Amino acid sequence: MGILENKARARLFYKYLSRVYDRINPFVWTEEMRADALTLLDFSDDPTVLDVGCGTGFATEGLLEHVEEVYAIDQSEHQLEQAYAKFGKRGPVHFHRGDAERLPFATDAFDVVWSSGSIEYWPDPVRTLREFRRVLKPGGQVLVVGPNTPDDPIARRLADAMMLFYDEYEADRMFKTAGFEEVRHAFMGPSYSPEVAITTVARAPE
Amino acid sequence: MKESLLEILCCPLDKHDLELEDAEYEENEVVSGTLICTECGERYPIEDGIPNLLPPDMREGTPA
Repeated sequence: MGILENKARARLFYKYLSRVYDRINPFVWTEEMRADALTLLDFSDDPTVLDVGCGTGFATEGLLEHVEEVYAIDQSEHQLEQAYAKFGKRGPVHFHRGDAERLPFATDAFDVVWSSGSIEYWPDPVRTLREFRRVLKPGGQVLVVGPNTPDDPIARRLADAMMLFYDEYEADRMFKTAGFEEVRHAFMGPSYSPEVAITTVARAPE
Repeated sequence: MKESLLEILCCPLDKHDLELEDAEYEENEVVSGTLICTECGERYPIEDGIPNLLPPDMREGTPA
């Protein structure tokens, strides 16, 4: 288990990191990557969208280019403060504090569940993905962006010590075990590291 | 939060419906109050309009 795969540690980490997060973040998860990921989803018919682990609201901002309102949830008050500053507390984003693994949302509530930069902190990714499937309507779309396993073995060992990293085979296993169908993966990254992120899209069974 | 959003919310622990108590409103928004699980009775505060639906073991001041 990586050192950040513990919710209390992740919370403490983000308490301090949130101050600089949006300055660091664009190096690993850029607006261009966000735009690429957004093209993998179908936004027709005005879908009800949930952003899990919205953090400072970087992805939420991209989602709002496609839908009028977004439901957002994060465990970290300090990350959310940055998001409140961007969108207001009573604007187009319905904010909630909560746990990705134990979502406070009704079954079959959403057409799209998005989560970027959060899976690496989940203690049990399959359990959390099952929870995503529960809140998705039948046929609903899920999109998860996480860190791809580095090819270099030394980098990989360092990466694994920090948090969860996974490749497309592991992603495939996790999403299928959680009951998703039509599982597809895309690699994204800036030009100097084009496969730093793995994006998985899938659908809840009809 | 808008009171209509209650329909989409549930208790994070047992997924049962929540009831709103002691609500204070500003315009059409619930700005404070408590969401209470109709099954297990767990209480979730609404803080400045944001529902805090963290399970009790993840709230501030809870040892990890």
